[in-house]
Amino acid sequence: MASVTISDVSKSFGTVEVIHGLSLDIPDGKFVVLLGPSGCGKSTLLRMIAGLETATKGDIAIADTVVNTVHPKDRNIAMVFQNYALYAHMTVFDNMAFSMDLRGTPKAEMKEKVDWAASILNLTDYLDRYPRQLSGGQRQRVAMGRAIVRDPAVFLFDEPLSNLDAKLRVQMRTEIKELHQKLKTTTVYVTHDQIEAMTMADHIVIMRDGVIEQEGRPLDIYDGPDNLFVAGFIGSPGMNMLNGTVERMDGTPIVRMTDEIALPLPENAGAKDGQAVVYGIRPEHLEPRPDTGTLAATTQVVEPTGPENHVYASLGGVEVCAITRDRIEFKPEAPVRLTPDLERVHLFDADTGMVIRHG
Amino acid sequence: MEPSHASRTLRDIVAVLVVAIFMFPILWWGLNSIKPYSAIFDKDGPVYLDFEPTLDNYRVTMMGVSRVELAIQDGGGTYGAGGASSYDSRQTILDSIIVSVGSTIISVFLATLAAYALSRMAMRGKQHFIFWVLSQRFMPPIAIVIPLLFMFRDMGLRDTHFGLILAHVLINLPLAVLLLKSFFDDVPKDVDEAAMIDGATRWQSFRRVVLPMVRGGVAATAVLCFIFSWTEFMLSLYLTTSIRTLPVKITTFVTSTGTEWGFITALGTTAILPAFVFILLVQRHLVRGLTLGSLKE
Repeated sequence: MASVTISDVSKSFGTVEVIHGLSLDIPDGKFVVLLGPSGCGKSTLLRMIAGLETATKGDIAIADTVVNTVHPKDRNIAMVFQNYALYAHMTVFDNMAFSMDLRGTPKAEMKEKVDWAASILNLTDYLDRYPRQLSGGQRQRVAMGRAIVRDPAVFLFDEPLSNLDAKLRVQMRTEIKELHQKLKTTTVYVTHDQIEAMTMADHIVIMRDGVIEQEGRPLDIYDGPDNLFVAGFIGSPGMNMLNGTVERMDGTPIVRMTDEIALPLPENAGAKDGQAVVYGIRPEHLEPRPDTGTLAATTQVVEPTGPENHVYASLGGVEVCAITRDRIEFKPEAPVRLTPDLERVHLFDADTGMVIRHG
Repeated sequence: MEPSHASRTLRDIVAVLVVAIFMFPILWWGLNSIKPYSAIFDKDGPVYLDFEPTLDNYRVTMMGVSRVELAIQDGGGTYGAGGASSYDSRQTILDSIIVSVGSTIISVFLATLAAYALSRMAMRGKQHFIFWVLSQRFMPPIAIVIPLLFMFRDMGLRDTHFGLILAHVLINLPLAVLLLKSFFDDVPKDVDEAAMIDGATRWQSFRRVVLPMVRGGVAATAVLCFIFSWTEFMLSLYLTTSIRTLPVKITTFVTSTGTEWGFITALGTTAILPAFVFILLVQRHLVRGLTLGSLKE
């Protein structure tokens, strides 16, 4: 087991710099998820940790040893690829045993290790099969088995679930998390799926355009996004974002969206009067009711998911989503009243996109 | 929509016809090789199956029986049409096998390494290099045969097995490299990277992971190289004198006094066999989808 330290690392492909002086500490035994839209540099960062790409500038250290020039095979890492990258001409057993075979591990020990990994991953019955004879989920487990038999210092996952169907993805998500809880190996996991990140991570690192936008524990990020990008990226359905100007109405602060619509603010909202802001409120903090409530809107679409009703409504021409767990029937094209939870309002500076913390 | 019964029958008939058209010359070739001389050239028209089969042509080409011996056995007269050149072709077949197998092995070995490098390693001007490799194939062999002849003579390679092997490798290599490169390109780089992380050196990942996954491509390339070398005529003609490969040997059966159709067809039929056996040996590797299961498709 080991920590991973990334100090001021940049990476350029030709003249294009894709990672700009990024620093990150991954403590020993933690499950860290690198999250971001495609092209944000998260996979490149992972590949630099693996040694498949070299950093243009800066240092990468595994277990306090700088590994910039160390070959991947000597970094004591294991990696699971998005498309599994199994050895098609080898059986499941040979796929998992390959790394030990290369190191000249004795046959008995090899078998013991593979059997152990196979039992953890429910692959015991498939050891003689070839990858082509396995389902997608089984192949992904073989790829993980290949990683865990090595007993590596760091696990690297590069979007391992994005090729699986939705149901299997949820199942494998749990399996990977369980695996981490069992093995407690430092894990770096790359994904663009915020649900995966929220559910699995001890620590999320949100990246965009080669820089870290925010990092922290999943719920801390969810509850306290630093900027509009993070606020919009985390959460599904996404946070409602309404543009307006801070004003005082009868002595209390509001955000004036249109002449008719004044969005309520808590007393301690940190914004100055006249400041252009984005008013952010998550759907579950916007209560829809057919008759009573602060804001008047018009229902457009209602999506009952079972546990919740998602009400999409037009508020001053902007589509917002409000969620209730109550079994209320909402009719399309009918008036609806929306009440924001004032304690859960996020205010962002419209110019910089940065959060305005409550005063 | 399922094709109707009539259209399926029609399709089958067309397929059989097409195959028959392609197969007929080979059949006729084989048939002529077991006909007595009088049946090959019958004044009343082509003889199809109405003849007494004989192995005389094979006895001359494959067993070293001389024409004089045959003539004596037949009770005098001459056998066949030609003069006195040697028709014993056993050494020829051996020469052809040595040259074809040798040049195939060397071509495939070099091409595999080159194709892997072109597929996997970054290098300056790679596209230009690939085009240059391909352009070698544009060059007609007749354009180089004379210079090659002088070079081979000076290096002592003329009329040697190795010299001819080298010449065939020269012609085969460009296509073999490009063909194999496309097979290597089909194996995703992730597989190499996975092997490298598993602890393999570049050579180990090539040898133990990537190469086995392009087995089908290597087999296909080997077949192409072999067939080329087996049927190559011009370089063999110019670069050898005592060593005779099959295509060259067969032309010597066209003599100043006539064409030995019986011997030509007998040797031609025999010549199909080694190529057939070679392809049979290789074809079990010629299965598609060897990388199946490596990736999510």
